[in-house]
Amino acid sequence: MSRLEERYRFVLRLLPAAYRQEWEDDMVAAFLDSMDTGDSETTAYVTDYGRPSLSEVASIVSLAVRLRLGGADAPPRSYAWGQAVRLATLMAMLTHAVMITTSIAVTLWLSGKIAWLPAPASEWTITPPSSIWHTAWNLAGYAWLPAYIALVLGHRRVAQAVALLAVVPPAITTAVQQAGDVPLSVSSWAMLLIDVVLLLAMAAFHHGAPPVPRRPWLLALPVGVLLVPVPLFTIQATTPALRLLDWPGLSCAAVTAAMVIHLTVRVSRRPRNLPWSLALTLLAVTTLAQRTATLPDYSDQAQHTTLATIASVQAIAVLAVGVPLAVLAIRALRRLPPIPATQRPTTPTE
Amino acid sequence: MTEPAFFILTALLDAPRHGYGIVAEVAELSRGRVQLKIGSLYGVLDRLVGDGQVELDREEAWQGRLRRYYRLTERGRHALDAEAQRLAANARLASTRLRERRNPITGTPS
Repeated sequence: MSRLEERYRFVLRLLPAAYRQEWEDDMVAAFLDSMDTGDSETTAYVTDYGRPSLSEVASIVSLAVRLRLGGADAPPRSYAWGQAVRLATLMAMLTHAVMITTSIAVTLWLSGKIAWLPAPASEWTITPPSSIWHTAWNLAGYAWLPAYIALVLGHRRVAQAVALLAVVPPAITTAVQQAGDVPLSVSSWAMLLIDVVLLLAMAAFHHGAPPVPRRPWLLALPVGVLLVPVPLFTIQATTPALRLLDWPGLSCAAVTAAMVIHLTVRVSRRPRNLPWSLALTLLAVTTLAQRTATLPDYSDQAQHTTLATIASVQAIAVLAVGVPLAVLAIRALRRLPPIPATQRPTTPTE
Repeated sequence: MTEPAFFILTALLDAPRHGYGIVAEVAELSRGRVQLKIGSLYGVLDRLVGDGQVELDREEAWQGRLRRYYRLTERGRHALDAEAQRLAANARLASTRLRERRNPITGTPS
């Protein structure tokens, strides 16, 4: 086996085993044919030192996503995982959109643009950014809102491109700050990593995926703003102790609450529950990883013991609800038929 | 029907072809506009085989590798015919409208 074939077969391992069993040898033959230059010496060089091009690898990645995170016509397990990733992505994007919408409203209120609300306390006044460039840079995070709306409306590539605007500027800011005199923090990098995963997870909204139900997901935006950040902001404004709830902590609380609600209602709506159970399990794993990874950031804070205790309680809460949910989801998943090999093209008898 | 599926079925109309043979024929038919990657080709091919529009014709050994040749089924031929008629009807509609909307000054289509 040539080095080029080895490399291509390594890429093909992204595909499900059953699919590879049926198609791998044929795909390898076609790929090696495509690398045949017609000149034996050049072809020998390419088979020894060549690599599959980025576009070839991208086509395999795209096929792997379509097969593993299937649409409505996919086998049940593939469809369940596909729906789970799509739901988890929508929920995470919705969270971003809700927080951004609230942030816009709070900024307008603090700058006195919402006259009918009581004026903010003097210690809450916002510091104006030093330049237009800084303002534009800070606005990049707001791109999550149009990205979410684009995804719900079925424009996946637009959503990805817009979300990229929300990810890149904070990444550069964090890198520049931490290269300077700002102490190294895990939190900002953990959040960026999650955002990058979110960006990639949008690939699950491929052509075969069912369209996103627009009305409930668009309605979830104002409902989410009224249910979570508005009460939270009001409570934190009046109860300073609750300001100890940071972003990973808030994520833990929100995911735990969602899992509890899901476990309560799942009895009456069993058949439609598996993708939701898997989606919430994925979110629980993500929030737990985020909570654990950001614990070292407390070490140089004045209230580090209190903060670490609160964080431990949050992690235990996620585990206490998330583990039973994950067990139920995995059991339900195992009851589904596995991803079958696609219909092997058999030679018909003449 | 997607454009790659349309071209793959068209490429198999005259003769059975192996994987890379289909890629090369599609590139030629589309004058280089549709350059199928191997992952894209097999993504479409396994659906066409699953739908019964394409089937395996034969396997041949070539330079130590086994090449599978695929051919169009009657079902595939009907699907392609239906799609070709749909596209032709759409094209006729657009052409008729273009002819009707002539530029009043130059007399040429606007």
